[in-house]
Amino acid sequence: MTSIVDKGAPAEVRPASKTARILGVAALALAIGIAAPWLVASKLTLSLTTQAIFDALLATSVGFLVLQNGRVSFGQAAFFGLGGYAFGVLVARQLMAPELAFILALALPTLIAFLLGIVFARITGVAHAMLTLAVGQAFYEVAFRWRELAKGDDGMSFELPERFFGFASRHFQDPAVMVVVAWSILVLALAGLALFVNSRVGQIAAAVRDNEERARFIGHDTTIPPAIVYAISAFLAAIAGLLQATYNGYIAPQMFHWSLSGSALIMAVVGGAQFIVGPAIGAVCFFFLKDFAGRFAEYWPAIVGTVLVAVTLLMPQGMVGLASRAWTGRRSKP
Amino acid sequence: MSEGFAIQGIGVERRYGGFSALKGVDIAVKRGEIRGLIGPNGAGKSTLIDVLSGRVRGQPGRVLLDGKDVSGLKPQERRRLGLARSFQRTNIFPALSVEQQLRIASWAVADAGVEEVMAELNLTALAGMPAAEISYGDQRRLDLALALVGRPRVLLLDEPAAGLTVEESHGLATILRDLANRWNVTVLLVEHDMQVVFSICDGITVLHLGQKLAEGGVADIRADQRVVTAYLGTEA
Amino acid sequence: MAIQLLNGVVYGGLLYLLAVGLVLIFGLREVVNFAHGALFMLGSYIGYTLAAAGHWWLGLLVSVVVMAAVGCILDVLVFRSLRKHDHIVTVLITFGLLLILETVVTVTWGKAYLSYPVPKLLAGTVEIAGSPFPIYRLFIIAVSLLVAAGLAAWLRFTRMGLYVRAASTNAHVTSIQGIDVDRLSLVVVGLGTALAGLSGVVAGPLLTLSPTMGNYILIDSFIVVVIGGLGSFGGAFIAALLIGQIHNLGAIHLPWAATMLPFLLMIGILIWRPTGFAGSRT
Repeated sequence: MTSIVDKGAPAEVRPASKTARILGVAALALAIGIAAPWLVASKLTLSLTTQAIFDALLATSVGFLVLQNGRVSFGQAAFFGLGGYAFGVLVARQLMAPELAFILALALPTLIAFLLGIVFARITGVAHAMLTLAVGQAFYEVAFRWRELAKGDDGMSFELPERFFGFASRHFQDPAVMVVVAWSILVLALAGLALFVNSRVGQIAAAVRDNEERARFIGHDTTIPPAIVYAISAFLAAIAGLLQATYNGYIAPQMFHWSLSGSALIMAVVGGAQFIVGPAIGAVCFFFLKDFAGRFAEYWPAIVGTVLVAVTLLMPQGMVGLASRAWTGRRSKP
Repeated sequence: MSEGFAIQGIGVERRYGGFSALKGVDIAVKRGEIRGLIGPNGAGKSTLIDVLSGRVRGQPGRVLLDGKDVSGLKPQERRRLGLARSFQRTNIFPALSVEQQLRIASWAVADAGVEEVMAELNLTALAGMPAAEISYGDQRRLDLALALVGRPRVLLLDEPAAGLTVEESHGLATILRDLANRWNVTVLLVEHDMQVVFSICDGITVLHLGQKLAEGGVADIRADQRVVTAYLGTEA
Repeated sequence: MAIQLLNGVVYGGLLYLLAVGLVLIFGLREVVNFAHGALFMLGSYIGYTLAAAGHWWLGLLVSVVVMAAVGCILDVLVFRSLRKHDHIVTVLITFGLLLILETVVTVTWGKAYLSYPVPKLLAGTVEIAGSPFPIYRLFIIAVSLLVAAGLAAWLRFTRMGLYVRAASTNAHVTSIQGIDVDRLSLVVVGLGTALAGLSGVVAGPLLTLSPTMGNYILIDSFIVVVIGGLGSFGGAFIAALLIGQIHNLGAIHLPWAATMLPFLLMIGILIWRPTGFAGSRT
């Protein structure tokens, strides 16, 4: 019986050719992304795609934790919010150069996640789900009430200074630009994850996921590798939050809410968490499906809920899993 | 004066609140020896392995590896010093392929030895298969292989033949003895299958109710009346 | 001061009703029901429909019965068939259920905030320590105490209660003894969801009805269950009272501490002792 936390295809042991393949695909994807604004005329489509990519990054964050650590988190939004808030607050208060704020806003959630990963080392399954739920909501409550920080539940808008990483800041709120930036980051992130999965640390983390006890008895430290996975996961969520905050010029406590974590989890599961690209594909599909739902918008949560139940029970490998099985099935036919 | 004991347990105890699973057991296995550890159910055999391997720590008594006190070391530290163990209930990595998990194991100890261990244990043909999909007998050998990667100095085996057919047990025993001799591995072997024990062990230690009952060569132990009584007496 | 403490007990009572339902369901099926808050909400809306038409008490009865039926269906269709699966699967399923129930409510009753009336019998106030205190709130306390006492007696003195306690400790062993765990679960899960419905109806006049009313109280009830010790009925009672007080005091005195403390307690306990949850490694 497969469950959604069943681990995916084992990483193969030919690093060099795999790396080349990954980088090749990434380069191609980047090229497509850069070409996009010229190919797509509608600003609205570009804007929607941009938002979809933010969702995809968060979904990937959740999915990667399931894939490499075998753990379900209902609190990834905490890092999403931290990334956005850290950046927004630092920039709004003009405490430092925005480039520095950018680095700090990413470093902080990553470091916190690493430490949490160490503390949570032996906690898995439902306990982990509830724990991350609590942690995420705790962050939400802080953001909700701390009026001096960022106006609490009203949310806060902020403005970037004139220039950001050498470019005029207003570009970052132009869908045609942000879609390329976000897409590139997504592609690089996915490529990075693929490389990590094949690396020694990544494989050791997978072994810890499979059997923590035996991993210890064959001589490996079993605390650090999963903590690194936590950190990477948080880093992705933080980037997503930071990008969204920058694009909208706005931060709000909703960015920390467990419902955001929950929907990211659903996208990851439906897309197929055992595949690195699964969550991103799930997110994009959901995003455009929702937009397409139109008249049925009222029923959207029920649709999502039903899809989640169906996928969990019937196709735990998600959409990508289904597609991959169909593909291999077709190839093996005479 | 060191007699060349590869592994030693001195005054090993294991207490659970008021109950003592092990009461001051001394055991010393010479370099290159294959020692059998037998006894009726509840004797404390697996517990002794747990203490020697570091799964249980912080109890009274000491564990020495080649004369070095490792009592406070965690399992991963002991493994890196050359003390490996296998498990009674198959303890492998189900989603990883056979080769991949052996390779991961090799990174901790020698960065090598994957191909040779697969060859010795007839796993080469299964190298690319996910461990969950191979047969039980193959999984037992994989469990063993994980402990053998990088040629450990000392190998603690907890019922390696558990669940195997008579043929498979016999085959495994032969491989073990052969490998131990060629690689100069010291082995402490817990087993219920007496055929295996009598056929490959150089010496035997008998535990009963948490204490050492008898110790000696195979012939001596086979003839020892106390051992027979202990087994018959506790047969439920 | 007395009034403040009483208000804390009121919220604690509501939390207890919800939390004990979670404990019942977890005890037998090892399921952490993420949809419990949504069941609370559904119960409230069902009761509201009748209460708004002038039949408050009928609303209470109908809601409890309907929610019990929902629980039975849930047990048979979902929990029973997912027994052998990874427990995280049921978390996802109940999470999906939460979303479905939310939509059921918005489609049937709309998204606007609704006001649940207080029954005429319980309207008005009494004087306690020199201040007026709503009789309805005393009613809430009374209901919670009644349920707590009834449950304790049921567990202690009836055969079914004994089976529940046994199965909560070890369902596998209990089924070997010849007790039909599936039939037992049907009753127990139904009871758990009925209590969620009861909690919803009783809470109705205190809170405003909205499709998100289940979210906050779900988190709080999870906190109660974890702090009280998963599987412990008495623990749920004490923890509910504790969290109820912290919540209430926080509204007035130390908002930060009051908000963070329950989370920190829950997080601390889950880290220190994650056992008791399926899937945690010791």
